[in-house]
Amino acid sequence: MLCGALFLGACQKIDYREEPSKDEELTGQLVDVSPFSGAARKLFVLNEGQMGSNNASLDFLRFPFGIYISDAFAKMNPSVGAGLGDVGNDIAVIGEELWMVVNNSGIVEVVSVFDETEVAAISVPTPRNIAFDDKYAYVTSWAGAFATGAYDEYGNYSITDYYNTKGQVYRINLKTKQVEGSVEVGYQPEGIAYYGGKLYVANSGGISSQLPPSYSYDSTVSIIDAASFKVSSTVDVQINLKDVYSDGAGNIYVTTLGNFWDVHSGLYTFNVSNPTSVSLISNYVSVSAIYGDTVYCIGTDTEFDWSAAHEYSLWGAQNGKKTIGISLDLSGIAPYSFFVLDPNTFFIGDAGDYVNPGTLNCFHRGNKLWSIQVGVCPGHFVAY
Amino acid sequence: MLSVCCGLSAQQTDTLSASQVSTYKVLPVVRPSEQVAFLPGQVRPSPQVSELLRRFTGVQVKDYGGVGGLKTINVRSLGSEHVGIFLDGILVDNAQNMQVDLGRFSADAFSAIALYNAQKTQRLQTAKEYAAGAAVHLSLEQPYLIWGDSSGKVRLRAGSFGTVNPSIQWDRRLGGVLLRVGAEFLTSNGKYKYDYFGTPLTRENGDITSGRLDARLSGSLLGGKWSLLLYGYGSERGFPGPVIRRSEEFPFSAERQADRDIFAQGSWTKDWTPRYSTAVRFKYSNNYIHYNTHPEKNPMALPYNLHYLQQSAYGSLAQSLGLADFWSVDLSTDFQYNTLDSDVGQFVRPRRAAFTGALATLLTWSKFRAEAHLVYAATWDWFDQRNAGGWSREDTFRDVWMPSVSLFFAPARWLEIDAFAKRTYRLPSFNDLYYSLMGNSALVPESAAQLGADIRMSARAGAWDLEARLSPYYNHVDDKIVAIPTSSQFRWTMLNIGKVDITGVDAKVRTGRDIGFADRRADLTLRYTFQRALDHTTPGSLIWGNQIPYIPLHSGGVDLSLLWEKWTFAWNTTITGERWSRTANTDDYRIAPWSLSDASIARKFLLADLLGSSPRGLFPELSVGLALNNIFNQSYQIVQGYPMPGFNAMLSIELAW
Repeated sequence: MLCGALFLGACQKIDYREEPSKDEELTGQLVDVSPFSGAARKLFVLNEGQMGSNNASLDFLRFPFGIYISDAFAKMNPSVGAGLGDVGNDIAVIGEELWMVVNNSGIVEVVSVFDETEVAAISVPTPRNIAFDDKYAYVTSWAGAFATGAYDEYGNYSITDYYNTKGQVYRINLKTKQVEGSVEVGYQPEGIAYYGGKLYVANSGGISSQLPPSYSYDSTVSIIDAASFKVSSTVDVQINLKDVYSDGAGNIYVTTLGNFWDVHSGLYTFNVSNPTSVSLISNYVSVSAIYGDTVYCIGTDTEFDWSAAHEYSLWGAQNGKKTIGISLDLSGIAPYSFFVLDPNTFFIGDAGDYVNPGTLNCFHRGNKLWSIQVGVCPGHFVAY
Repeated sequence: MLSVCCGLSAQQTDTLSASQVSTYKVLPVVRPSEQVAFLPGQVRPSPQVSELLRRFTGVQVKDYGGVGGLKTINVRSLGSEHVGIFLDGILVDNAQNMQVDLGRFSADAFSAIALYNAQKTQRLQTAKEYAAGAAVHLSLEQPYLIWGDSSGKVRLRAGSFGTVNPSIQWDRRLGGVLLRVGAEFLTSNGKYKYDYFGTPLTRENGDITSGRLDARLSGSLLGGKWSLLLYGYGSERGFPGPVIRRSEEFPFSAERQADRDIFAQGSWTKDWTPRYSTAVRFKYSNNYIHYNTHPEKNPMALPYNLHYLQQSAYGSLAQSLGLADFWSVDLSTDFQYNTLDSDVGQFVRPRRAAFTGALATLLTWSKFRAEAHLVYAATWDWFDQRNAGGWSREDTFRDVWMPSVSLFFAPARWLEIDAFAKRTYRLPSFNDLYYSLMGNSALVPESAAQLGADIRMSARAGAWDLEARLSPYYNHVDDKIVAIPTSSQFRWTMLNIGKVDITGVDAKVRTGRDIGFADRRADLTLRYTFQRALDHTTPGSLIWGNQIPYIPLHSGGVDLSLLWEKWTFAWNTTITGERWSRTANTDDYRIAPWSLSDASIARKFLLADLLGSSPRGLFPELSVGLALNNIFNQSYQIVQGYPMPGFNAMLSIELAW
């Protein structure tokens, strides 16, 4: 049984419904899934789309036949005229529901895992990523920051009104689909994971780094006590945090993007028993994913050389340590997103030029099985 | 009285002198690909320059919709950065992003709007005029003083979208100096109905308020002619944003931009001998932009509140020497200094010094004419560079050579053929080079090679006249500057990787007829443009060989104009074939063909007739015009996600004295 989603720490037991679902009439591209069929029913792929183009789309790969169906949300929900929306930013499964975070639409879209029909559309300002406990969905949000300034008569600029508000984590009741409060975290929070009654939120400061007066990134993980829904502590990691994972055994993993100049990206870890003791596992993380208790990363040591063709490598981390280097021929692929279906089966999204449709590459036992054209910026995966 | 529009050879003067006083004249090698010219007091068929340019063959006007929406021009798929917009011969430039918003130019200010693909034939051009891939020349209307030492005009235009647009201009002769002072104010709420995924909604936050003040002076000095233009423009507008799915709890956009554009430009032209002439030109411009996403009003906004100040100083010396009656050489040298300052994070304060030099020669006999020139352009940039241990001031140098040749041959009185080959480069903009977290200071200039020909025919039979033009062309854009993502999806960079091959043909036929007298005339124009603009960047990629975004394979139109004594009537239909919003030419990104029809009707009244007295001959004159746009209320988009307005109307009343 597969364990949840990218940011889902808690393992949900899923009861498969056996009646035929309404989406069975959808047709798509045929691909070979015979080496690994049986691992899941569906692999959902969220294509982010291009900001402002309203072209986020939900695809899925149906097992065991190997049919890749594009744009399932629009096909199964013709009454939602505007489609899935603008910039799909995260996707996760809980129970029989697939939750999608549609960033620039301000919507968290909930659909049935069986037929992708809409269950609810919940308003959250600039939502980013999602995690669950057994009662709530928790969604990170950037909403808020601003600064104003003016030139004086000598042409010098100064800040007149400055309020770079921190981001929020919104809490949504899983049953009622209503927002039930929010809690302030760090600047521009990104990834979120749940483990042992606590939420771990990675704060990026991606916008703060562009704003006067300090032009600086955030570098903290906010730890929220789920029961009281208050920040209980803050852990300093490294600047510009991205994803956060729980291995289900007390280790929290955080990826960082660096500053694109002299601070490199990396994978950091701490144990929930001693969160202030943060250690760097390795630098160079372009994309990452978790499977079971292992975090898999793909990175390149030439990441800040914008003119070079990059050589990417794949490695893993377990129990807070770098463990495995995995040989995978990634030539010709610029990894944009990553999913581990099982320890032998990897899916790597390539966004191409980010404007035109990207590709989804399937690797099994070190070999590339196939590559197909998908939506624009294939960015997020979940299997059920 | 002349017809409403003229655009082809028969209606142009056939000799060009270096200045208004020179006796040495040359014959044109190349005529404008398209041109509209207006007589003083003539009612423009559209108040906006961008609307008139849209009706030119080979032109795509990108329009984000509404009175305040950005409007830029792309000629023969080269990209808007390759199109130079010249105001009385001096470039309107924007070193920050090389986009000139045509929406801020009102057609009333100009006596002619001409588009050139090959090099314009004229002595004493600036070097920048030689360096442009394609050029739009806007000629300011001269002060109009027939009946005395002063005249003037007040106009009020008002109509849809709550638009109110009063303007005034006043011409005066002060001794030897001609003066025109103008002022204009525009306000529009920008609200119009559009189709939001099957639901009718109203476009919000698209309002604009703008004002313009300008003064033009011209006169004689030291045996030469001088002119000076002082111009100030300010606007405050909202950006309604793209049409996307958005939760009903949040607005689509609260983005605002305020800008202020001030410039002074002038020239002094002198004929030292009948064969040797010079022109000195200068410009100083100061452009300030304040952009604010207003996150306090829109929780969906990324919190940006940015200020940009761009300044430019420019000087040009052009010299022209007639070596023989059929032969002249020109040497033009331009210098420019640009600065850009901003409070964007990690801003690098770019400064640019540029030299452009052009050596040109013209050979003109009546049936065979040739022009050739070579341009050398060099730029020095200074900018802050982030290094280990801090920031340092760096500099880069770029230079290019740009050759061009044009030929003209008139085998018969009714047939003229011209052809040209031209290579130009567009410099990387400050944004391309230095934009925070995206710019790449190692970029080289983007090149455009053009080959083209015009075959022009004209005939006249009795009251009828006929003109036809067929213009095939091939363009190749190389080292195209494109934004591409890097190893991190949060860090993009600009690279010189794009390649585009463009083959096309422009065709135009105009026929007209005088009906009895010269003040009764009908004209019909048919236009067609074929453009195959294919991406040839990465062989084997999914998009290789596809049509580039927003370029229709087929486009065209019909213009009909009728002049009947004091009445003018114009009809225009523009048709744009299917396009794609991206290089992936799939159904998902197909933009349906659209056609747009506009009509205008105007009538002139002599106040003398209305009042029963004749104080001053033809003046004061009252003109009343009604423009009906998008008559069939078509729902269409030029840019994906930016719906254009449906049917709208504008009434104008003008009093000239």
